[in-house]
Amino acid sequence: MVRFTVSSILVVGLLFIADSNAAAKNIDLVTLPNRDTVQLTIYNSEDITLAKEIRSVTLKRGNNRLQFSWAGTLIDPTSVEFRPLEHADQIDVADTVFPGQKPQHLIWNIESKYEGQALVEVSYFTSGLTWQMDYVATSDVNETQMKFRGHVRVFNNSGEEYENAEIRLIVGKINLVEKITDLARRQGIDMPATETAKYKGMKELEAKKAFEKAAFAAFGSGKGGATDAKKVVKEGLSEYFMFSVEGSETIAIGWSKRMPAVSADGVAFDIVYRLRSYQYGPRPVRFFIWRNDAEHSLGESPLPDGIVRMFRENGHDGLSYLGQQLLRYVPIQSDIEVNLGTDDLVIVEQRKTKTRRNNFQFDRRNLVAGWDEHQDWIGEVRNYHAKAIAIEVRLQLAGDVELTPTSPTTSFDFRTVETKLQTDPRDNSVFPFTTVIHQGTNAKQNRVMLRRSN
Amino acid sequence: MRRFLCVLTLVAMLSAPADARIKLATLPVRERVELQLDNGAYTLVEEERIVPLLKSTAKTGNNMIDFSWSNTSIDKDSIQFRPLSFRAGKDWQPIGKANGEVEINVINVAYPPGENSLVWEVFAAKAGVVKVRVSYLIHNLTRTFNYRALANKDETLLTLRSFIKLRNYSGEEFGKAGVWAGFGPKFLKEVGQQEEIQMLVKRFPEVPIVKTFKFDWYSNGQLNPDKPFASEILMHYELTNDEKNNLGAFPLQPGKVRIFIEDGRGGQAFLGEDVSRLTPLDDKMELYLGQSRDIVCSRIIEENQRHAVRGNLHHQEMIIKYEIENFRDKPATLDIIEQLNRDAVEYAGNPHGDAEWEMGEQTSRELKFSYELGNATPVLHIKLAPRPKDPDEEVEKIVVRFHFTLKNVW
Repeated sequence: MVRFTVSSILVVGLLFIADSNAAAKNIDLVTLPNRDTVQLTIYNSEDITLAKEIRSVTLKRGNNRLQFSWAGTLIDPTSVEFRPLEHADQIDVADTVFPGQKPQHLIWNIESKYEGQALVEVSYFTSGLTWQMDYVATSDVNETQMKFRGHVRVFNNSGEEYENAEIRLIVGKINLVEKITDLARRQGIDMPATETAKYKGMKELEAKKAFEKAAFAAFGSGKGGATDAKKVVKEGLSEYFMFSVEGSETIAIGWSKRMPAVSADGVAFDIVYRLRSYQYGPRPVRFFIWRNDAEHSLGESPLPDGIVRMFRENGHDGLSYLGQQLLRYVPIQSDIEVNLGTDDLVIVEQRKTKTRRNNFQFDRRNLVAGWDEHQDWIGEVRNYHAKAIAIEVRLQLAGDVELTPTSPTTSFDFRTVETKLQTDPRDNSVFPFTTVIHQGTNAKQNRVMLRRSN
Repeated sequence: MRRFLCVLTLVAMLSAPADARIKLATLPVRERVELQLDNGAYTLVEEERIVPLLKSTAKTGNNMIDFSWSNTSIDKDSIQFRPLSFRAGKDWQPIGKANGEVEINVINVAYPPGENSLVWEVFAAKAGVVKVRVSYLIHNLTRTFNYRALANKDETLLTLRSFIKLRNYSGEEFGKAGVWAGFGPKFLKEVGQQEEIQMLVKRFPEVPIVKTFKFDWYSNGQLNPDKPFASEILMHYELTNDEKNNLGAFPLQPGKVRIFIEDGRGGQAFLGEDVSRLTPLDDKMELYLGQSRDIVCSRIIEENQRHAVRGNLHHQEMIIKYEIENFRDKPATLDIIEQLNRDAVEYAGNPHGDAEWEMGEQTSRELKFSYELGNATPVLHIKLAPRPKDPDEEVEKIVVRFHFTLKNVW
């Protein structure tokens, strides 16, 4: 087996002390028990991973000194915990010593009434292990249905290779008082900062060697043997969601691995155009909209943040690239909206056809102080596509405004109105409206009031 | 010299222990390459390769396919691997299911650090030769559009040729590749490094055109000190992108248009060039040709009178006189753009938004009005007869007036 350890050493050393006064001497007998299993719980909202290792150690009756060291890794020393899994009522941690002369070491003084081999759990927080989602959506040529795929990608920049690790990924935002990397780098310890050239070079060299010697060891399925795509089991956990990757995985230092996590075929979606100049700019933008629910072959779990890349079958035995967008966390039953940007084949224009002013008010010097401005507008949607489109037009107006539409229009907020239109293929729709803007001393409000047309 | 490398390597496990494994590497060549240029900002490359896969077993493990590249800028996160079909004799069969499992399945993708490469772990339910498609977004492989327009001597019809130009500075050589812009024909071209290939997308013969003449005082200003009231007359060809006008095959993309005219002796003369905007189906393309020297229009403020209303509130009555001469041997329609907001600021005061105005009785009947630029910017259209055929006869000076009142100005 090829190990991708760089300068990282994660060792549990058991020191049987013959002489209790010789506490400073790391001598006598040291055993290096291997990890039996490793479980990594990786959070994506913060750079934190909870690592749990299960190891077998042999204890004698009385005082045992157990040394744990983590040189070259990004472990938070304050988080390291020891917990016996067997004979727990007979094994106690008397104290934990962080030797001043030996950074990135600790010694547990274990009081044991049991003698023999026991399973223990060592857990700690580390940083440098991260994960993220990404999505690929491929629509059919008519843009009615899509194939939707989601992948999890796990990155290992922790300085430690975890072989055959059980991987669990937490979706949700947690609170941390201090960053784990800061805790790991305290006490002037030279840590493998992932940004440094030294670390990068180290990573690359090791990865290269590993790749040349035995490519499979770096990315092979944990326990070996052929496997079909691993399932990613999703389950709720408090306010969070946990994705557990089936079986075990090995991710070498500096490598990342991407695995399928979400798969849905025949996902129906709607296309809606939106004109909101205050939000999306002056031109209408096109949205693909569907929902994270069973009706859309989804809804098994929330969809974590990730880039979604949109393609379309182009009808010529190939794909067209439509665009990409960061998809923000989508809860179960919630809508998924992907903005594909402006579309040159849908044009919205608004033209002022008449302006007139009346209801003038004058101040004491007989100067104009207030007036009403009447404006007639024609809005027009031109659809150059070969199929009908739905479009939502939102207008945001400042000041004391009365707006009289001729198309069905609703108030969105105190200063924004919304008109929804359907426009036939290669046709246009018009939405005339008039506004009365109270200006100067005539302005008594700051809102848009919808009036019914006569 | 730049070296291209875009390699798909198949690595099959022959024995279980990692150190003892022997790598069997094949370098399957590209069977087919498609360059999808329909997205103006990104180019999608799709390539098909034939990959022999071993049956995945507990002993041999899965197939490992290594994809690497150098000296070319591929968006690593956009790379997709899609198995398409199995070879069965001479035929290709779609990927199906074996014992309820998909026959070919991508288990995961691993990304080594600091390298332009990735490794797909692929499960195969049976051994065989598989056609796979690898697609990715690539930088510096771009396309532009350009046009060549040839007008007939009468300037009534035009032959428009639409070209696409592929510019390959991606660092990669694609060999014979399908090139498609999302419309029009699909081309099969040898696409080498640093090559630019121009292809004719479509030729549109006998496209009707309208030659327009525009006068816009506030946009173009005084013609010259000798003619302080005249301004430039800008010429355009206007064509409509629909089937009725022998176009309408696809939206015309933005691009440079070089305009030529038949000289009547079998040759062509260069009229000028313009950059066209996107012209969707049914929309109009306007091509700027330059200035007309043979139509002269002067604009004179003939009347400018204030009518007090109350306090500082007043109306401003104006008459603008246009004197027009057409020295061309053809008739023409002159479009006069009058920016009333600018008139108000210059002669009346602050209009406080778009000018409110009323047409006056003294407006010439020959003038026709349209409002495609908005109510405060009317366009006045006047038809002009050609110059007299008799050289001794003087060119008629047409005088028209636009009478209006700017209301409620202060």
